[in-house]
Amino acid sequence: MRDMGLTAQNIEHRKTIVGLGPDDSKRIGQLGEVVQTNVERLTATFFDHLAGLDEARVLFGNSELLKRARVLKGAHLSEMVRGEYGPQYVEQRLKLAMLYTQVGLDAHVFLGAFRHLLEAIGACVMKNSEKDPMEGFENFMSLQKVAYFDIAIIVDTLVFERERIIRQQQEAIRELSTPVLQIRDQLLIIPVIGLVDTYRARLLTEGLLNAIRERRAKGVVMDITGVPVVDSKVANHLAQACEAARLMGALVVLTGISSEIALTLVTIGAQLRGIRTVGDLQGGIEEIERSLGGKARAPSRGDSYEGDPSRGS
Amino acid sequence: MAVPILKQGGYLFVAIQDELTDAGWRDLRTDLLERAGKHRSRGVLIDVSTMEVMDSFASRMLDGIARMLRFRGAETVVSGLQPEVAFAMAQLGLSLPNTGTALDTDDGFAELRRRTGTVVNAH
Amino acid sequence: MPTEAPISIKHDADILAARRAAREMAARLGFSSTDLALIATAISEIARNILVYAGRGEITLEEVSEPPRRGIVVIARDSGPGIADIEQAMQDGYSSGHGLGLGLPGARRLMDDFSIESNVPQGTTIVMKKWAR
Repeated sequence: MRDMGLTAQNIEHRKTIVGLGPDDSKRIGQLGEVVQTNVERLTATFFDHLAGLDEARVLFGNSELLKRARVLKGAHLSEMVRGEYGPQYVEQRLKLAMLYTQVGLDAHVFLGAFRHLLEAIGACVMKNSEKDPMEGFENFMSLQKVAYFDIAIIVDTLVFERERIIRQQQEAIRELSTPVLQIRDQLLIIPVIGLVDTYRARLLTEGLLNAIRERRAKGVVMDITGVPVVDSKVANHLAQACEAARLMGALVVLTGISSEIALTLVTIGAQLRGIRTVGDLQGGIEEIERSLGGKARAPSRGDSYEGDPSRGS
Repeated sequence: MAVPILKQGGYLFVAIQDELTDAGWRDLRTDLLERAGKHRSRGVLIDVSTMEVMDSFASRMLDGIARMLRFRGAETVVSGLQPEVAFAMAQLGLSLPNTGTALDTDDGFAELRRRTGTVVNAH
Repeated sequence: MPTEAPISIKHDADILAARRAAREMAARLGFSSTDLALIATAISEIARNILVYAGRGEITLEEVSEPPRRGIVVIARDSGPGIADIEQAMQDGYSSGHGLGLGLPGARRLMDDFSIESNVPQGTTIVMKKWAR
């Protein structure tokens, strides 16, 4: 509930928006008896309407969920006429809304069924108010405000959930698009493909640094042949990635900078200070191997040294 | 509370915890210079793997210590910078131009050996 | 909007306290480990700035919620002497290599939102925010 911003404050604000106040609660209270008496029939109305719809197939195919939905709906109807619409009431609404998202029930389908339900409630109320139809009508109008309050919450929840899933999928796609390849001990290749915006640059850098730590890499060839646009911002991101890698003891060589991109970078005066660049991937690998030749990981036993003919005791 | 400085062959080793105060840094600087001089150390390995933040002050101190140690004839390597810390440093434009860098202490000693160029016998 | 008591910045040990408090709050809000480092570092820069240029001040941390986003707000206040030329102060001093630039441009780079108000001699107020992804 907190994630969606449904604080006590927000709930009160939502009530203000639909004009739901203490007078309404009183009028709704009058409807308590007639709704309670008919709660089973009214619940059935809601689900009977859905049963005829293809979009509700998943819900009706799952008897556990359907049973739970019926129970929650019946409870909701009782709660709706009790007159208390605070955080607890909202929490119950959310439970039902989450169930709808679970079965993939779209907002417009839910709204259709809800309207049918309200119509049925209205008919009940009016039939019961033959002695004073105006009062019955006013009571029902107050109940409508709760209906709008409910609808807003359910719809907001459906949208929120949908967006959360989309965000997750987008992240997964982004992460997949930056693979890290280990070609031998201590040497990685990262082919970068696609546009590099600020967010992606960060994912790239995080991926690079984590890979350096996890695979204990000392050399990384970052190939940017697949990056269509390399402007000063992108150059800056890449420079930062290289610098961060150096702080972790790894050397990064950029390859795949076309002559057009090289020209652009020079023209806009981009600083590629501190980055080693080599034309192609093969050249980059060779460059790293040459540098690593002097920095190969020492065996852990005893002293070792490179290029020194004399041996210690 | 002084940060312990260990002697490892011809090198000095120190592991910095996160919470160094300004005075702590100054003490560390003094101690390192003194010990490096006393033992004629060829190199100093400073491990920062438990540091969660390296701000501009800390990186200036560290780089400054490395410069001073070089005057005393000792090379400095910093090991163990965590990915998040390295990331933040790069975003701030902080670098450690006067130190070598390594992933961990094993690599750190190897890098020291590479930089100092000779075998150092364990005493 | 949960707020904690302001953290007084008078000694360099207070910088560490401010960092720790921010890290705790940010961790509770679900920030990634990278963001935790960025936030703590930005606070370190701002807090040291207060010490060096104003002598004392305070830092307040707040949770903020603009559904579906949640974030952390850092308010740093001091009472002087203030910054005469904010624009100049906000320019990048780091790349010049002198290393003594004010911590402000650095902190701005690490956070999502950054605003600064300052006049001589009243002092400076900085408000910076970071949103959890």
